[in-house]
Amino acid sequence: MTIKEVAEKVGGKIAVDKPGAEVNFAYASDLLSDVMGHCGDESVLITIQNHLNTIAVCTLAGIEIIVICHDRPVPDDMAAAAAREEVAIITTPLSQFAASIALSSLPPSAK
Amino acid sequence: MKFDLHIHSCLSPCASLEMAPGDIVRRALAAGMGGIAITDHNSAMNAPAMAARAKAAGLACLFGLEVQTAEEAHTLALFDTPEQALAMTEWVYAAMPKRVNDPDTFGDQPILSAESDEDEIADLEWRILAMGCRRTIPETSAKAHELGGLYIAAHIDRPNYSVVSSLGAIPTAPDGTPYFDAVELSRTANEEEWLPKAEGYAVTRSSDAHNLDDVARVWTEADISEFTTAELKRAFAFRLTRLSPRLTRF
Repeated sequence: MTIKEVAEKVGGKIAVDKPGAEVNFAYASDLLSDVMGHCGDESVLITIQNHLNTIAVCTLAGIEIIVICHDRPVPDDMAAAAAREEVAIITTPLSQFAASIALSSLPPSAK
Repeated sequence: MKFDLHIHSCLSPCASLEMAPGDIVRRALAAGMGGIAITDHNSAMNAPAMAARAKAAGLACLFGLEVQTAEEAHTLALFDTPEQALAMTEWVYAAMPKRVNDPDTFGDQPILSAESDEDEIADLEWRILAMGCRRTIPETSAKAHELGGLYIAAHIDRPNYSVVSSLGAIPTAPDGTPYFDAVELSRTANEEEWLPKAEGYAVTRSSDAHNLDDVARVWTEADISEFTTAELKRAFAFRLTRLSPRLTRF
């Protein structure tokens, strides 16, 4: 699923773009230690963790796209790190559950 | 006496490399602090260097770490000696992910020498200090107290990594016993909004400084005879702390 398709499905806005980004799996969690422990690569992460450390975890786990729920704002330092590390960020008004349903054609991500 | 109980050194990957213990001490003295605490993420490996610099400059210092618990809450464990803080560090390290830090992703983690008069790098911490450990708040509270320290919930008003953002409220044991000796407000926290949410707790305000300009920009004040955990515990128990004004911009 391309970044454009992910954004369309969750009715979201691309806050940090990564042209050509594609994902094959999805994972939803707000606990970054849980994400690091269980989320595999080629994934989209659905979360409310609008924090710089989310980008660091994405680079370790190989997560391509973050969907930030409830339209939480993306802090400047998070956006800068995402651009630098080539992780895309999409913001959506949906909850984590609603965003998961919207992306339910993707299989669950696992390590 | 004014004190700032939450200051990161250069060991914290997210802190500026300018945060050498000697410069932190000079900045704190210039700002009129009677005491400071060094609190790096999940580690007190710079406590010995800080102890040497603080002693040389005549500034009272506590030694601690900002433990990121399994609940992804930031909590401060503070001690009178580097040895206690290092014992706490060993306990935290045993429950950290065994992954090697990538300085380009997270930041550098220099441990400074306590022997040298200069701020000389003795070693680099290899663990990822920016990650949490598997210790829970109840476990961490028990360990900090067992080692003779204080346990404080950090920046409870912040939207990430606070007990309130992670758990919705300040947790207590099932019988109502508090885990925390005090709760901390950040430099921008509005007291009118947050003091009611901290009802029943002693409250501190600290800088959470990650660069030199922020050291002691806010502080806590209390009538204590010496800057020790015992005196702070007494001040907390009798709710004797007063907070500096908040900053209106972060």
